[in-house]
Amino acid sequence: MVINVKNLVKRYGDLIALDHFNLEVQEGEILGLLGPNGSGKTTAINCILSLLKYDKGTIEIFDQPMSPDAYDIKRDVGIVMQNVAVFEELTVYENIDYFCGLYIADRQTRKKRVAEAIDFVGLNDFIKFFPKKLSGGLLRRLNIACGIAHQPKLIILDEPTVAVDPQSRNNILEGIQKLNRQGATIIYTSHYMEEVEQIASRIAIMDKGKIIAMGTNEELKKKIKSGEHINLELLNPEDLDLEAIKALPHIISAELTDHQLVVKSGRDKNNLIAILDHLKDQNIAIGKIYSEPPTLNDVFLEITGKELRD
Amino acid sequence: MFLFNYRYRLKCILRDRQLMFWTLLFPILLATLFNLALSNITTAEEFIKVPVAVVENDQLDANPAFTTALEGTDELFAVQYTTRAEAEALLNDNQISGYIVFEPDLNLVVNQSGLNQTIIRGFLDDFLQSSATIVTVITENPTALDNGIVAGVSSRSEYLTEVSASQSNPDPIVNYFYTLIAMTCLYGGFLGLKEVVAIQADLSDVGARINLAPTNKLTVFMSSMLAATTIQLAELLILLAFIIGVLGISFGNQLGYIALTCVIGSLTGVTFGAFIASVIKKGEGFLTGILIASTMTMCFLAGMMYADMKYIVTTKIPILAYLNPANLITDSFYALYYYTSHTQFFTDILLLCGFIIVFSAITYFVLRRQKYASL
Repeated sequence: MVINVKNLVKRYGDLIALDHFNLEVQEGEILGLLGPNGSGKTTAINCILSLLKYDKGTIEIFDQPMSPDAYDIKRDVGIVMQNVAVFEELTVYENIDYFCGLYIADRQTRKKRVAEAIDFVGLNDFIKFFPKKLSGGLLRRLNIACGIAHQPKLIILDEPTVAVDPQSRNNILEGIQKLNRQGATIIYTSHYMEEVEQIASRIAIMDKGKIIAMGTNEELKKKIKSGEHINLELLNPEDLDLEAIKALPHIISAELTDHQLVVKSGRDKNNLIAILDHLKDQNIAIGKIYSEPPTLNDVFLEITGKELRD
Repeated sequence: MFLFNYRYRLKCILRDRQLMFWTLLFPILLATLFNLALSNITTAEEFIKVPVAVVENDQLDANPAFTTALEGTDELFAVQYTTRAEAEALLNDNQISGYIVFEPDLNLVVNQSGLNQTIIRGFLDDFLQSSATIVTVITENPTALDNGIVAGVSSRSEYLTEVSASQSNPDPIVNYFYTLIAMTCLYGGFLGLKEVVAIQADLSDVGARINLAPTNKLTVFMSSMLAATTIQLAELLILLAFIIGVLGISFGNQLGYIALTCVIGSLTGVTFGAFIASVIKKGEGFLTGILIASTMTMCFLAGMMYADMKYIVTTKIPILAYLNPANLITDSFYALYYYTSHTQFFTDILLLCGFIIVFSAITYFVLRRQKYASL
C-alpha cells in the first residue's frame, strides 16, 4: 500500500479540521480527493506529508511510518502545492534544477531529469524566463515541474488547476494521466468534480474533515437514489400539470422555470418515456430534450444535503 | 547540498533588486548625503583670521617694534595697512573687525564688541605690557641688555606638556558615518530574514516545498545564512571603500580590527534578521517593517540623527548603550579611531558576539521544530 492513514485527528482550537480521517491509497491508482473548500483536503495532505502536527492517528507511506526526517520516504514523494511555490529570483530552469537538486545530488542525473520535466510540462521555450514573466497557466506548469522533476513514485497534487485557463487545465490533466501511465501513484485533490471524474480511478469525497464516500465514479453514483436529470423545453408550459408529473413512478422532483422543466428521476430505464407519454397526453408541445446522468455533486448533495460548491 | 544551496541562495539574493537597493545602494546614497550635509559643519568650525587694518602715519614709522610684533602674528591676523579714511570706510563696511592707529599712543578703533575685537585687544595689551616692561628694565638697569634679561621679557616658556588622549583629532562628523555603517550591518537583517522566510513552511510556499524534501533543514539553513553573510560582508566592504576612498573619511589605520568589526557587525545584523523572522509569526511585509523600525530606533539611539543622543544614552541610561547593537558597532569604530587602548573595542566586540550567540540560539531552537501547528 502506498498510503495508509488511520483515525487522523487534527484540531485548530475548538475547530476539528480532520475528524478520524482514514485513507488507503493503492499503488498505481489516481485517487481523487474531492470536497468543498474548507473540507480538510489540504490539511489532510499536509498531515500526511508530516508538515503539520496532528493530535491523533497513524500515517504510513510505502508501509513505513511517516515523519519529518523519513528521508527515504520523502525521496519518492513529489508534491505540487495549491499555491505556486517557486523562487521569483530564479529562472524556470534554475527553479526546476534547484528543487530537483534537493532530491538528487548527482549533477548528470539531475540535468537529465530537469530536461525531462521541462519537456513534460512543455516549458522548453521559457527556460530562461523569470516566473513573473510567465502567464498563470505557465506558472502552474512550472509549479508542477518543480514537484515532479525528481520522478517520484507518489505524486500529490493539491488543487493544481486553481485559476488556470481551460486549455492549460486540460494540458495539466493530460499530464497527470501520463505520469500515472508511467508508473506514478497520484493523489489529486480538487473541488472541481469534473476534473476528478475525468482522471481519477477512485474517488474519495470529503466533508467536515472526514471521508463520507469512497469508490469509483460508477460505484459512488450507484450509491445514491437519484438517476438521470431530464431537461425539457416546453412550448406551452401553462397547460402543464406539474403535480401529475411529480406523481409519476420513480420521479424524485420536478421543477418548472419559465419554459424549462427539470425532472430528477430515480434509477429506472423508462423514466424519460413515461414523462414524454404523460406530456403527450396533456397536449404539451416539446422543444428540446436532453438528459444528464447523475454527477458527483448529486452524490455529495444526497449524502450531505448541500451542494458541493456551497 | 551545502554548496549547491549556497550557490543558489547567492543568486537569489543578488537578483533581489529591492533587497540590494536597501542593503547596498541606500547606505551609499546616505553616505553621500551625509558628506554633502556635514561638510559645512567642519567648515564652520575652521578658524578664520581676524581682519584688521593698521593706519600708516609717522607715529607708526617711529614704532618699528610694533610692526615687527605684528608680523609674527600672521596666523592670527589678516593685516592691511591703510590711511585712516580707508580704515574708517572698511570698518563701516564690516570688512575689518577694527583698526589700529598711533595718535601718538596706541589706539584700537572698533564699532562693536566681540571675539575678534577681544583678540585684537589682547594682542595690543600684551604688546604694550611687554614694551613698558622693557623700557622700565633698560631705564633702571642698562646692563640688562647685555645680560639677556630683556630678551627673556618677550619670550614665553611652556611649563605644561600636551599629551593627546586619542590617536586622532576629534572630528564631529565621523560618528555619523560610524552609525551609518552600524545601520548597514543591521540591514544585513533583511538578508537573514529573507533566508528564514525561504525555509519556513509557515512563512512561505517555497519553505513548505523545502521542508518536504529529503534534506536536513539545518544544513540548508546554515548554507543560506552563510550566503547571506557573504553578500552582507561584500556590501559592507564596498560601502567602506566608498566612504574611505571616495568621500575621504578616515577610519584610522587599524585595518585588521576594522575588518573584524565588519565581520562581527555583519553577523549581528544577519542573525538579528533571522531571529526576528523566527520568533514573530507574521507575513514577510510585517517582519520587514519590524526590522526597519527596530534598526532605525537603534541607530537613532546610537546618534545617527542627533549626534548628542549617543552621549545622552551613555550618561543617562548606560545599560541601553550596552544593549544596543548599533551603538556597540558605532562604539567599536569610535574606540579604534580615538582610543590608544583596545579595552573598549574588545568590550564592544564581545558584547556583539553575545548578541550573535543569543540570536542564533533562539533561531536554532525555533527552526529545529520539524512540524508546524498551522500553515
